[in-house]
Amino acid sequence: MADSPPPTGSVLTVPPEFQYGSIFRQGEAAITGMWLFLAQECLFFGGLFLSWIYCRYWNIAGFDAGSADAQVWIGSINTGILVTSSFVYAMALACIQGGRVRFMTILLGVVAALGIAFLCLKGYEWHLDFADHTWVLDPDFKVKGALEGGAKLFWSFYWISTVLHAAHMTVGIGLVAYVIMCARQGRFSATYHTPVEVVGIYWSFVDVVWLILWPLIYLIGRAS
Amino acid sequence: MIFRIILLAVTWVVLMALAGGEFLISGIHMALPDRPLVLLPAGLMVLIVVLVFMRLPRAPLIARGFALVAIFWLILLLGLGSMDALTRNFWWVQGYGGR
Amino acid sequence: MSTTASSTASSTAIERRQISSSYLGEDFRLLSWLTTTDHKRIAVLYLVSITLFFFVGGTAAAFMRWNLISPDGMLRSDETYNRLFTMHGVIMVWFFLVPSIPVTLGNFCIPLMIGARDLAFPRINLLSWYLFVTAGMVVLYALFVGGVDVGWTFYPPLSTNYSNGYVLLAAIAIFVAGFSSIATGLNFIVTIHTLRAPGMTWTRLPVFVWSHYATSLLYVLATPVLAMTMVLLFFERLFRTGVFDARNGGDLLLFQHMFWFYSHPAVYIMILPGMGVVSEIIPCFSHKKLFGYDFVVWCSMAIAVIAFFVWGHHMFVSGQSLYASVVFSLMSYAVAVPSAIKVFNWIGTMHKGFIRFDAPMLYAIGFIGLFTSGGLTGLWLACLAADVHLSQTYFVVAHFHYVMVGGMVSAFFGGLHFWWPKITGRLYPEMWGRAAALIIFIGFNMTFAPQYILGYTGMPRRYASYPPQYQVLNVMSSAGASVLALGYLLPLFYLPWSLFRGPRSVANPWDATGLEWQTSSPPPTVNFYATPIVTWDPYDYKEPERQEQLDYHG
Repeated sequence: MADSPPPTGSVLTVPPEFQYGSIFRQGEAAITGMWLFLAQECLFFGGLFLSWIYCRYWNIAGFDAGSADAQVWIGSINTGILVTSSFVYAMALACIQGGRVRFMTILLGVVAALGIAFLCLKGYEWHLDFADHTWVLDPDFKVKGALEGGAKLFWSFYWISTVLHAAHMTVGIGLVAYVIMCARQGRFSATYHTPVEVVGIYWSFVDVVWLILWPLIYLIGRAS
Repeated sequence: MIFRIILLAVTWVVLMALAGGEFLISGIHMALPDRPLVLLPAGLMVLIVVLVFMRLPRAPLIARGFALVAIFWLILLLGLGSMDALTRNFWWVQGYGGR
Repeated sequence: MSTTASSTASSTAIERRQISSSYLGEDFRLLSWLTTTDHKRIAVLYLVSITLFFFVGGTAAAFMRWNLISPDGMLRSDETYNRLFTMHGVIMVWFFLVPSIPVTLGNFCIPLMIGARDLAFPRINLLSWYLFVTAGMVVLYALFVGGVDVGWTFYPPLSTNYSNGYVLLAAIAIFVAGFSSIATGLNFIVTIHTLRAPGMTWTRLPVFVWSHYATSLLYVLATPVLAMTMVLLFFERLFRTGVFDARNGGDLLLFQHMFWFYSHPAVYIMILPGMGVVSEIIPCFSHKKLFGYDFVVWCSMAIAVIAFFVWGHHMFVSGQSLYASVVFSLMSYAVAVPSAIKVFNWIGTMHKGFIRFDAPMLYAIGFIGLFTSGGLTGLWLACLAADVHLSQTYFVVAHFHYVMVGGMVSAFFGGLHFWWPKITGRLYPEMWGRAAALIIFIGFNMTFAPQYILGYTGMPRRYASYPPQYQVLNVMSSAGASVLALGYLLPLFYLPWSLFRGPRSVANPWDATGLEWQTSSPPPTVNFYATPIVTWDPYDYKEPERQEQLDYHG
């Protein structure tokens, strides 16, 4: 029962919250709010990118030497996973807008699974990095000599940015799970599915952040 | 609906191709200061994700405005912020070899 | 209920019904306040919390002024003094000034002014208050178990490598408080975009709403960079990551860039809402249309944008690039233009108006003078050569206190008195209100005018002791501070008194034109029983007796 799409027309009975004139306005406000929140997120990560510019500019050789030790394969596979998950989410949105709630639920399950796969790979990568003596407080830090300071700065950037990104991923997985739960309760339909859309925007944004972090961490210093 | 799914699938293929291209480019030996050029395909990928997957063109007008605002302020932060590092002048203390 | 009201036509019964049908009488249990999503109740919650922080921060300031009576420092402890000024700065900036007007008066008035029933995201509004309170608890804990000795700016390497205070806790508190601001700003922007009543076009919005729109942009776009700065500071102090540490090749100035990318716009967060309040009060008590509405509005937006171009003027003597300094200096001059235009507009509004000197108007007039003084001295500091002499002196302290305290706090008190009848349904005692306004104005100038001279003659800030030649002016300043403290304490007594004993207010006690005055005082939970339809321009003050008045004055 929960999985069957509600009959068309029942959606009009979804009442807006009391301050809105219509459910349409309410949805518009939610989407606008999410985009504004993402503008905020841009500047949050912007500060991190500025620190990347400073650290690399002052220590270009050491910074890239640190980057050469990053697990480029895991990072690149993760890029593929995230791009795919964004694509699957967009498909899920297309499904619900075509009224196919059940398809959407399945696709969102795939999205959440891809997100968890990303985090698992990330955790494995962190494990490898630790074993590789790249933790900045490691007394046996991997890079020695003139390049040590720059390499340490790279690894600082690496740890802070991947931890922050993973935190955003975790929130995203939680949100996707919430949307799946609501969908199974039959709350969404072709005409009302604002939470699906809003969470989708957030999910793709986390993907976008990774698309920037991927070259900053793995690719720019790769062939040095 | 069908058209939309085809569009999404094509976008996914393009994105994966761009990611692969970016990965290959990054393997080419370049001078260190030139290496941030690797970010160009990444920027293109971001643009595609924002336009197609996040459906920015279909967002409310003001949400599109906020997207532009984010870009503008990001440029401001990174541009004005790095201006100092890029143009800083050093006065070395006597007897100190310096960096 | 309704039968009693109609049968006994006594005024008390009607009053009781008014109260019970208002947002205040909805439910009296504490839990109903702590779980409310009503923007008016959240505004009251915020009002109580920031008042607490205002007096905690003020107490620290009182100890500082007491210490500076003697050149050797009355406290006999530099360490204690460091902790006091840090506590004063952190609490006053993040826990009073940044939230002050937006979260209380803004939260209360914006939906009323645009004819909405609530903010766009009422639950996020409540979340914002809880984040604020959590952050406040953390910072109070940090400050009372040992304090922080790095100043409110948290500059490394002191904050990262050398300080033995509770920097980590303070950084966490500021991070959380930042997200409280972001939540409020996001809520305001979306509300103003989506929930305006029919006919409430952009050019009919009160300037108060426009100012809050500009402030919210600053909240949303500047605060995340502070959040990231605090994250980096946190990792730096905990793990010695080295981003701000020159020994690893990091850059100290990066911290200052990121910090001021937030904290300079934050200065405008701390003044724009005040400008909004003053733009409401002055037309009302001059009984005249706001002069140059378009200019005031566009200047608010211009300030919000240019605010982001000027942060480097805090770093002229830090060793940053000279080219950057020149650019930042020129932009700092530019930001003075819209601020000055606003001052001219307020004066133009008062010109040939029918001015009443009620307490809110006294605060507003004080605001204009003190803000002008603080703003103009800001131009001295924007000048590269003058700044070399003046930075890190009491001149800077006096400059920003004129803007923050003389400007924003005056505006906050003015707005609080102005909307007090709307918030509580009671009138405050007018005589006491005027007395407090005058005492604050006089005490403020007594406190901070000597500091201009102290700074100009070279007394550095942030020191517990000073050469004896500065003692006279320091004692004058400390004496003024006690007058100022008296002025701030007065409302703490007469405003709560008026809650119980003040005369009942009618819906529109000031004869003002804003939409918020059209609903009852205090407003019902839904704000308006019927959605208002706006067909008039803002500040539509009639001037019925103009000819007569002119004749009277000859």
